[in-house]
Amino acid sequence: MPNAVAIKVLVVDDQNSVRQMTRMTLEEIGFRHIHEAEHGRQAMEIASLQPLDLIISDYNMPEMDGLGLLRAVRGHPVVRKVPFILLTGRGDKELVVKAAQAGVNNYLIKPFTASTLREKIEQVMGKLS
Amino acid sequence: MASLDQLKQTFFEECDEALQQIEAGLTEIREGHASDDIVNAVFRGVHSVKGGAGIFGFEALVGFAHVFETVLDGVRRGSLTATPETMDVLLSASDVLSDLVQMSRTGEAVAPGFGNECRTALEHIAEQDRKDAEEDDDSPAPADFDGIDFTPVPMDFTPVPVDADAADVSRSFAITFRPKREMLKKSNEPLYILRNLRKLGTLDLVAQLDCLPALADLEADHPYIWWTGTLQTAATRAQIDEVFEFVVDDCDLEIIETTPASDLAGVQEIVSTHAPAIEEQHIVAPPLAPELHVEKAAPATAVSGAGEAAGAARSPTAKPAATTTRIELERIDRVVNMVGELVIAQAMLGQIVQELPEGTSGRLSQILEEVIHHTRELKDSVMSMRAQPVGSVFQRMPRLVRELSTKTAKKVRLEMVGETTEVDRSIIERLGDPLTHIIRNSVDHGIESPADRLAAGKNEEGTIRLSAEHRGGRIVIEIKDDGAGINSERVLKKAREKGLVGADATLTDDEIGNLIMLPGFSTAESVSDISGRGVGMDVVRSNIQDIGGRISLKSERGRGMTIQLALPLTLAVMDGMVIKTGQQTYVMPLSSIVECLRPARSDISNLIGTSGMLQLRGEFVPLVQLGDLLEISSNAGDSGDSVVIITDAGEGTRFGLVVDELCGHQQVVIKSIEESYGAVPGIAAATILGNGRVAFILDVEKLSELAVNSPAGAAMSTNATSTAKFAVN
Repeated sequence: MPNAVAIKVLVVDDQNSVRQMTRMTLEEIGFRHIHEAEHGRQAMEIASLQPLDLIISDYNMPEMDGLGLLRAVRGHPVVRKVPFILLTGRGDKELVVKAAQAGVNNYLIKPFTASTLREKIEQVMGKLS
Repeated sequence: MASLDQLKQTFFEECDEALQQIEAGLTEIREGHASDDIVNAVFRGVHSVKGGAGIFGFEALVGFAHVFETVLDGVRRGSLTATPETMDVLLSASDVLSDLVQMSRTGEAVAPGFGNECRTALEHIAEQDRKDAEEDDDSPAPADFDGIDFTPVPMDFTPVPVDADAADVSRSFAITFRPKREMLKKSNEPLYILRNLRKLGTLDLVAQLDCLPALADLEADHPYIWWTGTLQTAATRAQIDEVFEFVVDDCDLEIIETTPASDLAGVQEIVSTHAPAIEEQHIVAPPLAPELHVEKAAPATAVSGAGEAAGAARSPTAKPAATTTRIELERIDRVVNMVGELVIAQAMLGQIVQELPEGTSGRLSQILEEVIHHTRELKDSVMSMRAQPVGSVFQRMPRLVRELSTKTAKKVRLEMVGETTEVDRSIIERLGDPLTHIIRNSVDHGIESPADRLAAGKNEEGTIRLSAEHRGGRIVIEIKDDGAGINSERVLKKAREKGLVGADATLTDDEIGNLIMLPGFSTAESVSDISGRGVGMDVVRSNIQDIGGRISLKSERGRGMTIQLALPLTLAVMDGMVIKTGQQTYVMPLSSIVECLRPARSDISNLIGTSGMLQLRGEFVPLVQLGDLLEISSNAGDSGDSVVIITDAGEGTRFGLVVDELCGHQQVVIKSIEESYGAVPGIAAATILGNGRVAFILDVEKLSELAVNSPAGAAMSTNATSTAKFAVN
């Protein structure tokens, strides 16, 4: 049973407010190791500097979008096995299909509550303690 | 942890940026400069507003942004063409969106039906788009993802440690790993690889430092360290190779199995029994392909996708993004104030150094020079922190022009140049109203109706050009239209009616133009909805003067009008000339001084009713005694000992201010006195000098007005050309 406190998570979103909201929600669930990146490229830089256990990324971002990041993660020797949850808008069916093909672990529709976020993480990583 | 309110604040700041991006992008597209980047940026802007609004619970905003986004998505995909009609709808949608953001920010209730017209238009476009697309896709898009069969892909987040203690299956490898420079260039971190290697078993490594150069010769992007050691593991050779899979070409790697032969037999047996498992692991190697029923060949796609992405991730163009920090304005203002205090303290120090006996102050004044230099740089850096591009004011104008042109049924195009020109935010804040007013005037009075324009042989679409640039320590903002210009006869007639101009005075066009900035002047024959309510250009002028700016106007009948605003870059600290008249010390803004001179007596001609005229390089410049203007006694009288400061009070007005003494140039901190004492004509503000005394900062423009109105200066006109005329007479 993974312990939320021990999980190192990276939140990727170009919107500071949304990123902070996600951080607050994660903290509510019990996460303590939260890194942030503004877009895919920065996320990859962070990912190559420290170990990560989970990536939660928005889709629509400048520089490198969520799908690009997902593919980059899956193609990187070090982080390729890191679970990846994609944040999407309502009704973005095609995106989910594409993300699934690229190896996403789960998706989450914005806006979300702490309990949905927890549920989505648990579906991937197992029950959180 | 940030509070929810702070986050909302951040969100609204982001909205402002996004709205600006949306508006600018749509305008570009409408003008025919569409590109994928622009369309994407606009889409992303609306998407961000929608996303954030959803999270913070602004439902009205989400609803509208969604429809807006749907249409933009059509444009982005190319299923919708950006016809002028569509673009007009999109532009008005950006206005509605901006209003909704504003309402959400202030907590104002959104009136039922607000923006419905625009929304319907958007929905109509989206509907058309959907109909067109129906042939390809007959199922309507589901509101949610219920329609797809997505199973979350569970994953063990803790890497399964291979049980190295199972000594029976342990194999040992001797490993030599020497990264090459290319490896770092492709942003692969050697340390990471070693960590992953350690996960396979017991790793015993020694870092080899023999290649490490002296610190001075060290190149940051060169891997000098290499490793040798052994790995005790239950993993297969293939698993070890996998760790190095992505770097194998960019390093010297040697992996030699050193497992004692006696152990190998057992290992072989175990390996063979485990073979299916291992093989399976290889197939699932990118084990992340979800169980997605839509796509059977998912694993294969994932593999090729991974390959491409690996290339992308290694792209050498990757560079760290410019980082920014948001700082509360208050904190910066505190630094600005401290710099101000520092400037004062430094001036005091300078004063003391000057008073020291000759020969003792050498080193001290040298150091002081340095301090002055640093303070100036400190001031400049702090000011640049407060600086903002004028674009933040300009961005409101396109919407204004759009709305006005609809109301007046005129066709107007707004060109904007130099939006990135930076100026202190205190100026920015006070620039919005005057600019709005001037542009309103231009559309309402300046630009003619399409029919009139065609009749006059002009393009039926009028142009207003809004530009900003730095010029000589000031920022110059110009609003130029190609409308009808000022109707001189009408203005003059009105001015005579109001008694602003004598019945027999002859005025040039520019002089007449400046009349419209006199208080209470409005020529609009009918008070329209847009302008002409009596609050006219005089308010604009006083607004601009309040922030130390100058306004000037040029009009050409039938060709258009240009209004120029020259503004100081900052309101906090300025360069000033310290002057003395009688017992009083004043500071004059350096920016309004053209030159200082001590004229020969023969150059001054005394004319009745004036304080004298100075002949300066063939030109006559009226002289004004500062002492007379401010009603204080001066030592100078009209003797040749006094100093004349030639000043430029804007609108081409030049006059010579006679003062007793120049004390030197220094930076002064501007302290407003208006809050405590009200406005004093001729005095702009106060400052504290090096000796701790308060000195007034002169308002040169007001002084020139005072000079005109004073008995001595009665003959002096506000215009240089008439000055020359007068001199000739």
